[in-house]
Amino acid sequence: MTRLFGTNGIRGVVNQDMNSTLALEIGQAWGTYLKKTVPRPKCAIGTDARLSNHMLKSAVTAGFLSTGCDVVDVGLVPTPTLQYTVKEKQFDAGVIITASHNPPQFNGIKGTASDGTELTKDVEETIEQIYFSQRFALSDWNEVGSYATWTGAIELYIKGVLSCVDVASIKKQRFHVVLDCGNGAGSLVAPILLKKLGCVVTELNCEPDGRFPGRHSEPLPENLTMLMKKVSETHASFGIGLDGDADRVIFIDEHGSYIWGDKSLSLVGRYITREKKGGITVTPVTTSTCFEDVIRQNKGRVIYTKVGSPIVAGVMKQNHAVFGGEENGGLIFPEFQYCRDAAMSLVTILEILAREKRPLSELIAQIPSYEMLKTKIPCPSEKKERIINLLADEMKNHREIIDIDRTDGLKLYMKDGWVLMRPSGTEPIFRVYVQAKEKQRAEQVALFYKNLAASLMQRA
Amino acid sequence: MCSVMKQPISKLIFRAYDIRGLYNKDISPEIFYKIGLAAGTYVKQTMQGKQITVGGDIRQSSQSLTHAFIAGVTATGVHINHTGTTSFGQTLFTGGELKADLIAFVTASHLPPEWNGIKFYYGDGVGFPEENLMAIRDLVLQDSFVLAGWDHIGQVTTVEATLRYKDFFASHFKFKKKLTVALDCGGASMTLSAPEIFKSLGFHVIPVYCDPDPSFSKRPSDPKPKNLTTLVQTLKQNSCDFGVAFDGDGDRAVIVDNTGQILSADLTGIIIGKYGLKKKKGIIIVNVECSKTVKEQLEPLGYHIKQIQVGHTFLTLEAKQTGALLGIESSGHLIIPEYFLFDDALVVPLKIAEILDNVKRPLHDFVIESPSYPTRKEEIECADDIKFEVIKRLQQMLSKEYEQVNIMDGVRIDFKEGWVLIRASNTSPIIRLTAEADTTAILQELSNRFMNKTQDLIRQIKTTQ
Repeated sequence: MTRLFGTNGIRGVVNQDMNSTLALEIGQAWGTYLKKTVPRPKCAIGTDARLSNHMLKSAVTAGFLSTGCDVVDVGLVPTPTLQYTVKEKQFDAGVIITASHNPPQFNGIKGTASDGTELTKDVEETIEQIYFSQRFALSDWNEVGSYATWTGAIELYIKGVLSCVDVASIKKQRFHVVLDCGNGAGSLVAPILLKKLGCVVTELNCEPDGRFPGRHSEPLPENLTMLMKKVSETHASFGIGLDGDADRVIFIDEHGSYIWGDKSLSLVGRYITREKKGGITVTPVTTSTCFEDVIRQNKGRVIYTKVGSPIVAGVMKQNHAVFGGEENGGLIFPEFQYCRDAAMSLVTILEILAREKRPLSELIAQIPSYEMLKTKIPCPSEKKERIINLLADEMKNHREIIDIDRTDGLKLYMKDGWVLMRPSGTEPIFRVYVQAKEKQRAEQVALFYKNLAASLMQRA
Repeated sequence: MCSVMKQPISKLIFRAYDIRGLYNKDISPEIFYKIGLAAGTYVKQTMQGKQITVGGDIRQSSQSLTHAFIAGVTATGVHINHTGTTSFGQTLFTGGELKADLIAFVTASHLPPEWNGIKFYYGDGVGFPEENLMAIRDLVLQDSFVLAGWDHIGQVTTVEATLRYKDFFASHFKFKKKLTVALDCGGASMTLSAPEIFKSLGFHVIPVYCDPDPSFSKRPSDPKPKNLTTLVQTLKQNSCDFGVAFDGDGDRAVIVDNTGQILSADLTGIIIGKYGLKKKKGIIIVNVECSKTVKEQLEPLGYHIKQIQVGHTFLTLEAKQTGALLGIESSGHLIIPEYFLFDDALVVPLKIAEILDNVKRPLHDFVIESPSYPTRKEEIECADDIKFEVIKRLQQMLSKEYEQVNIMDGVRIDFKEGWVLIRASNTSPIIRLTAEADTTAILQELSNRFMNKTQDLIRQIKTTQ
């Protein structure tokens, strides 16, 4: 079956593959699904700052209403705010119109279950089936859903986030931070939150604007040059770079240096497992070993999962994990909610700095460092599975390989690192991740597997 | 609940003045999405405009349809000001204030609750003419829409429509007396504006069905006399100065006098014309269906009575072009352009109250001043494919036979002692004959004469076909 939902909801270019007809029918398919589980479903809907938000929100709303679901419109909010609202206000479902970090011509529809977590694959597939069958359970005229707006979501969320940290200790420090919201939905939350924590805030791109005039909304190093410069210029304690819908965050140390997501993940993981004296943590197989290193120091355990934040969140929930997240700046705090949350990440970093009383660069320097190389190997989609199996067979008795993990693609452990090959869900390629102690070694490993894959492909 | 597959859009939902149909049968969110695409395309291409104000009445299906419409309009790059669930007047007034290129109101007016629809007005309150609505229809049926690029998608602004509308009445009406009014909103859209505005203007309000009731379970939304028994009873029990009943969306008001007599729109118009207008020189517009009493009562006062074709669109347009003081549609739409060009129902009872505020006489005294003539309405069966041909031939034939013949809308023949109007129905296979005369005997003779002529002609055309 053709899939609509990708790793993070349904995405596309506005008025081309992501249009109102699709959005309306997704609303109807989803509403049809909800009506089978609850007699009168109540859905919360919100958007990020993109220019096509109102259009798609109206279309999805019409779809929900027509299937007899009540809709509460919470307006422009970060994704985690919508998720928290769904959980706290006992909605049966949540919808956020966002394309996260994608360029501005994109938009998308992302859904949550009643606990605020992202939809599971099963539910997504059920919705897809209804969508493709076009058999929508449309309500009669007198059973059509009701529509209302609610402006309290942001206040509720900020209150919730603040209840999770040591506000007094943070306030005492009077941190100076530079905040770059990338003109995204985080603009509505992060500045208020930081000010409530007594921070002096220098704002960059903190006006919501769907054209993203300030910078590209993915917080990559090349997109955060202004932020890095501003941090060193203003001698700030650190810098904060959010993605478009404020579920992910990247930090800049006090010297203006970019901190990769695996480092901030490890710093927070270390802090939480230290506080909790161990505990289970969850991260995808792509995450650097530095995370496992710090968790083990605190007698904690790491469970590796397939790539995808909903999967990480699901495994966290099953295992009562104390923390989890991805190496792209998406951190999950289970005591608050089972979803990636940039606001929770940044208040936790503030708390760590306030308690440890050392600059961010020094704390990051304590995290072990590995070389990580990312590349791709072309491979026709229909051959992906066979090639991966052939690779596994070929390497299982190799003297260098000490362990094999088939959680997601093929991960081969060596004494001094690992290599991971994952078939891409959307492109005819394998994504290849190599971790080693030195750069040269990483390149050597990558080349070895590129050649091996090429020769296997000829044979296959 | 029903599981339905997509159906082709019926041409029949597009009527002369609005779009209407049964929810989930003739109309649906999908169809309203397309109507939105068409309205947006029309505003952008034909009007070179950029903004539509939209609101919906209280029906349960209105929000679903409104949101689908908005999704369509914004996809074309036209912006939306969304008033939400309101009375007709609240959205029309707000659209005017916001200088909308087009105002859209989701409603099926007085039809039962399982119906819905949409009607359009220009920002200045003039109704959207039939030929332009048909242009929108063609865009819908041909799937001919202009989509905007991602960076030009229309934006939606939620606008508050209650307060400024209320303020408008507070600044235009002041009352010395505390009049008692029986207010029948039928549980429909006027529950959202009328009770509060009447109270804020100092009335003693006796509410009748003033709680929102989207399924119109208490009384049908058509305020015709047989649906107003509770109102009349309540009015009598509470010795009200007058009573008023509104239709489903709030573009028609029916006045009841202090004795419980239900006034026709013509009679209400006469009383406003006689006692409610400050200027006595100017134009009063009536349509071809209006009673001859209107002219008899108002012309001697100095007004010029201008007769036009049926349809509130023509009423509003004519009022704008001629600067008329008052417009009367027999079907119940009244316009008082000193306030609005559009047919807001709230100004009508307030104008009546203003009249009563200045005199010591009860409303019934004004009612009995105007004589009431016997009228007759007949429906003549006639196939859709020939009904307009029949009218055309009648127009030619009767223009030669009689002196005073008006062919602007069907054919109307005026005599000293009465008149006859023959029109084809826009929606049914029917030709309607309306007649009014000084006496019942004349009425019988006149209507029979023209019934026969029409039936003869139908037979004749049928046989030559």
